Amino acid sequence: MVELKNVSKIYPHNVVGLKNVSINIKPKEFVSIVGQSGAGKSTLVKLLIAEERPSSGQIIIGDWDITHIRRSRIPVLRRQIGVVFQDFKLLPQKTVFENVAFAAQVCGEKNKKIKELVPKILNIVGLEDKSHRYPQQLSGGERQRVVIARSLIHRPKLLIADEPTGNLDSINAKEIIELLLRINEHNTTVILVTHNKEIVNSLKKRVITIAEGEVISDKEKGRYIL
Amino acid sequence: MIFRIIKFAFQNFYRNFWLALVTITILTVALFSITALITLNVIADKSIKSIEEKIDISIYFKKDADIQRILATKMEVSKLPEVKKTTLINKKDALNWFRQKHQNDKAILSSVDILDENPLGDVLVIKAKNTNDYQKILKFLSEKKYDDIIDRRDFDNKDHKEIIAKINAIKNKVRKIGYIIIGIFSFISILIVFNTVRIAIYTHRQEIAIMKLVGATNWFIRAPFLVEEVFYAFLSSMILISVFYPLLNFLEPHLNYFLNYNVDLLNYFKNNFFLIFGSEFLVISFINVFSSFIAMKKYLKV
Repeated sequence: MVELKNVSKIYPHNVVGLKNVSINIKPKEFVSIVGQSGAGKSTLVKLLIAEERPSSGQIIIGDWDITHIRRSRIPVLRRQIGVVFQDFKLLPQKTVFENVAFAAQVCGEKNKKIKELVPKILNIVGLEDKSHRYPQQLSGGERQRVVIARSLIHRPKLLIADEPTGNLDSINAKEIIELLLRINEHNTTVILVTHNKEIVNSLKKRVITIAEGEVISDKEKGRYIL
Repeated sequence: MIFRIIKFAFQNFYRNFWLALVTITILTVALFSITALITLNVIADKSIKSIEEKIDISIYFKKDADIQRILATKMEVSKLPEVKKTTLINKKDALNWFRQKHQNDKAILSSVDILDENPLGDVLVIKAKNTNDYQKILKFLSEKKYDDIIDRRDFDNKDHKEIIAKINAIKNKVRKIGYIIIGIFSFISILIVFNTVRIAIYTHRQEIAIMKLVGATNWFIRAPFLVEEVFYAFLSSMILISVFYPLLNFLEPHLNYFLNYNVDLLNYFKNNFFLIFGSEFLVISFINVFSSFIAMKKYLKV
């Protein structure tokens, strides 16, 4: 599903983002990528959604080599990957319904289908009764559910969750992780990027640990080792 | 897709109402200052024209000049491309016309009164299309063949020539200054509008980045903003028109009284409505769209 072959990302002034990273994630897997702040987790996410380009190496998503992806093709890639951000990245001037619908509208989905699809997705994340609210009228946990709903609208095969519980209390964080697990049960590959030890240990799934831009551990049913 | 873009544009507009209001106010003020300057230019132009219209030259024929030759001269002068109008005044009317023309000059009037008989011959009054053309007309009439019928030409008078020269100089200066001021104001207005649009886009920078991360293409993001900018231009033009006409209606009688001349501004703006307001709308739309395009470029690189 996702393959990184000897990927390095060097920023100006020789700042190392990632160094010689090779990862292979299979379809339908649930993988946690852990590491301390500045370890290179965010760089990895940015490379996967083509927000950054690797300095060297190769990145393949599905059958698509995105290493040298053209600018005009980036929107097409992003429509096939669901991304959940720590800071939500919701459109403040749009309602919950409109935020979720927007991700479908950019794909050129018809209004009729959007009107059918959005309530269903909002139902999955438990926000069907808050569809007309604006993001600022929701709690942190609710906002993150909207983000998940938005990322699911085009039924992605890959969902990347970048510190999705970073801004949430433990109860909300647990609910979000449960939601991600349910999504994974429906055959969506999930990459969870986090530094939350409790969550990683409770999952008992594959854990890839990154430190100073390098993969230092990759274990099935792993634990948070840092 | 077009419907979706227009819908997003209007959503942007009313959900960011205060930002929209500030942008429209600035656009309207910029448009108003340009229109006010155009108005001042028109007033200056019309005032000079009104003075120009009062200028003519008089050709005084000799008392015994043959009427056939006088008529032939009138015909020849009328055919000159520089001539707007010619009026031939016969001896009797010429005396009345002369008295009227010099009604404030008691010395001239009393010297005419002393004479027993009418000292004047027929008079040909010539109005040129342009004040610069009088010299050409006079040059034509200075040909020797007219010497035996023309007594004098009042344009030969040095004062008269100087007045015309001064009017021409003032006219050219007023126009030049008018264009320069309009140019400077337009430039300042463009800068203000450009920065206003940039600030408006800046406030949307995070939204633009989010849209990109969700998979929107550059044009899907840009288009509603561009439509919104054209809508701003349209609204500010409408506000300008709805404020400008009543204001002009109110000011025109006072202006006419002050200038002692019917400047007829309302009619001028009515006849040039599409040229003035249409151009202003098109130019402000272009500036808005261009500024928006440039301002967004930076935030689309996500």
